[in-house]
Amino acid sequence: METLENEIRQVAICLKNLSYRYPNTVEPSLKNISLDVEKGKFILIMGSTGAGKTTLSLCLNGLIPQLLEGKLTGGVRVAGKDVGKTAVQSLSKVLGLVLQDPETQIIGRRVEEDTSFGPRNFLVPLEEIKQRVNQTLEKVRLQGYNHRLSEELSGGEKQRLAIAGVLVMEPEILVLDEPTSELDPAGRSEIYATLADLRRKKDLTIILVEHSSEELIYKADEVVVLNQGELVWRGVPSELFRNLPLLRQWGIKPLPVSQIGWYFYEKGWITLAEIPLDIPSAEGLLRKLLPKYGHWQGHLQGQAQRQMQVPVPPDQGFGSGQSKDGLFRHELHLSKKAIAVQLKDLNYQYNSDQTALRGINLMIEAGEFVALIGRNGAGKTTLAKHFNGLLKPTSGEVIIEGMNTLKYDTSDLSKIVGYVFQNPDHQIFSATVEKELEFGLKNAGFKGKEIKERVEQVLWYTGLERYRSLHPFSLGKGERQMIAVASILVLKPKVLIIDEPTTGSDWTGVQTMMALICKLHTAGTTIIMISHDMDLVAQYAKRVIVLKEGGILLDGTPKRVFSNEQILLDSAIVPPQLCRLSFQLEDILGPEPFIEASEFTAMFESREQSGCL
Amino acid sequence: MFIEYLPGETLLHRLDVRTKMLGFLGLIIISFLFQDPKYQLLIVSVTGLLAFWIKIPLQKIRGMLIPLIPIIISIILITGFTFAPGRFDYVSSQRILFYALPGERLGATVGGFMMGSTFIFRLFSMMIASSVLILTTSMDDFTQFFQKMKMPVEVSMMLTTAIRFIPTLDKKRRQILEAQRARGTKFNEKGIIGSIRSYIPIMVPLFINSIMMANSLSMAMLNRGYGLTRTWTSMREIVFAPRDYWVMSFIVLLITLSFFVRFRLQLGVL
Repeated sequence: METLENEIRQVAICLKNLSYRYPNTVEPSLKNISLDVEKGKFILIMGSTGAGKTTLSLCLNGLIPQLLEGKLTGGVRVAGKDVGKTAVQSLSKVLGLVLQDPETQIIGRRVEEDTSFGPRNFLVPLEEIKQRVNQTLEKVRLQGYNHRLSEELSGGEKQRLAIAGVLVMEPEILVLDEPTSELDPAGRSEIYATLADLRRKKDLTIILVEHSSEELIYKADEVVVLNQGELVWRGVPSELFRNLPLLRQWGIKPLPVSQIGWYFYEKGWITLAEIPLDIPSAEGLLRKLLPKYGHWQGHLQGQAQRQMQVPVPPDQGFGSGQSKDGLFRHELHLSKKAIAVQLKDLNYQYNSDQTALRGINLMIEAGEFVALIGRNGAGKTTLAKHFNGLLKPTSGEVIIEGMNTLKYDTSDLSKIVGYVFQNPDHQIFSATVEKELEFGLKNAGFKGKEIKERVEQVLWYTGLERYRSLHPFSLGKGERQMIAVASILVLKPKVLIIDEPTTGSDWTGVQTMMALICKLHTAGTTIIMISHDMDLVAQYAKRVIVLKEGGILLDGTPKRVFSNEQILLDSAIVPPQLCRLSFQLEDILGPEPFIEASEFTAMFESREQSGCL
Repeated sequence: MFIEYLPGETLLHRLDVRTKMLGFLGLIIISFLFQDPKYQLLIVSVTGLLAFWIKIPLQKIRGMLIPLIPIIISIILITGFTFAPGRFDYVSSQRILFYALPGERLGATVGGFMMGSTFIFRLFSMMIASSVLILTTSMDDFTQFFQKMKMPVEVSMMLTTAIRFIPTLDKKRRQILEAQRARGTKFNEKGIIGSIRSYIPIMVPLFINSIMMANSLSMAMLNRGYGLTRTWTSMREIVFAPRDYWVMSFIVLLITLSFFVRFRLQLGVL
């Protein structure tokens, strides 16, 4: 008897042959999933979009099948309770579920009001509620926020408030479904820090559904991978992240340093277990292998040569000196290339007298690929909205392809400047994908045949052909994002602004989107991308502009910008992992960082070539 | 934006919400007892003093009053011309000032203009009084009031949720507007149909987004135990303080006095 009870207590979650099919669908979203989760573990659930991660988390607290109908077979037991037979509300005492969008999980106007919502429903006495609210707010690092208005919190704070809202009911299990997908890096690290705190303080079982992995790899006890509704892999995170072919197959983003390691492994120089997953181990490995297999002497020479060609002043890169330098560089090219965007002393003030942009001088040539980076509130979006006239300068001038935005309306500028916003659902309103694409063309005054041709072209270009007569909202988020881009591309804009094109997409989705953007860039479109994903910025952009407090902090090639590690850290930007690795190896590689795995592996290839010669 | 709670420490702030509601009700009753603008002016002055007491933001009052000016003028004109002399008790009110149309048609009565002023003053005192009420009473107090009046929990729940989501929806609206403008939507199309059509690209995504938000909100509410019981823990029990009894007796006395003046002394009519 006692042993049986013990067993029940040890297992927090028990899934037996769980299958589920949403109403009006043919294909099941979960297929035969069996999974036991031990109490006190931190489990990471990964997989591409549509793998069934969210569906699984909704099954855990009974929202499936109690709120969402459909066909559910198999058993779900949570903390010894049969989920099918227990009301969602009662389950919330044992299992707390945090969803993606923090905005819709906050019910109260004020922080305290929101956090107390749960216990109030359980008729907990007032004195105890107050005590619990204060304790929980402290756990999520929001102590003292009791009387703040919830709408005035930042994204990260809102999501932590949402976590507090379920924690206050003192559940044994916490399930988080992509809690950071809508947040910026600062907000994301706040959430991870909070989770780490929770792990330390209490033996809470945590199930986290997540796309990104760099921060979590050593925190999680186990990874569970879902693929098309099936549980395909389960084990220690480090083991999964060393197996690159598997990751690619399931659409999970590999760690950049592991790509270098995989190259060594394929060469047979190291074992699978030696593939590095963090910077220190990658550094150690490179230092060990370079003398053995590398051609680093020759490489150093190459480095020296390169430095002679492009002198990089060590501590410059911002301030007036740099912008003059930049201006000079542009003047040299002026005769060759047209100017796409020109800003002269741009200042912008919101109605509330808050200065959002100050003294921005900037020139972007036609055909450039520019990334705008900076922490939230640095002015990235405010700046980008000036490019298509959504915002007009308080003082100064914005000239786009020779048009001064003060003299033209956004509807005129929209034919030249395409702006793709972060959330595709803010613009989709037609009943079919095709009609959605026609909308912009009709606004621009195109007629019958021309509209048809252009829509046809863009449908083919973006790979949306097969969805042409479907309702946009019947498609996944990744496809809707693509529709948003396509609806702008039909106008054939010369300048394309993309605000966070990959938020919430999985690795495959990110690659598809970036491949499209690259294709446009090669075709001559000027690309201006706002992004928090530094790996993408380093990999794709040709020029990076860092904004801070409404001014330009740095402007240059990715390599030059990312070599200013300290300045970037002050602005809450963490350079990509491979950049940070090359800072560690500065004595070998020189001051200019490497940003791609191939650059590291090239150090080893030259040796072989010289060997062959 | 709507008027929001104005934190303060005056007696009006500290009074119980039920007392204030009674006072508001009393004011409505008294205001409807009297037709004479002189009495109404007195009521407006009293509410004005209350407003002055809680340091009402004058900017807001001005913002509320200016759009009302055309309505004020039209009310006075309409009542002035449409109230026939027979509707007044006093001879002085029945006097006709002039005729708008030849042949002694559409006469403007003194009583009519006075009635118009009464309407205006009534409007003013209601506006000022309700502003004072809203500015001195927190949202929490109002939900408490609903609960005390034995309204179901859902009502106050709905009310607070609605208020909580006003800024969120407003933000959505702005984002949608920008996204559609970036696609070249023009909002100045001519004609009624044109202007309705140009708002479809805003309204449809706004509806779809609201439905999606409502969907996840309902999940979040269930996640947190909403609907398990029919009631919930009150965050703050409101209790009458001695000052509430004083003020309430005063209000009741004032109402009685008004009835006496109006029906015994037959004052305040036109």
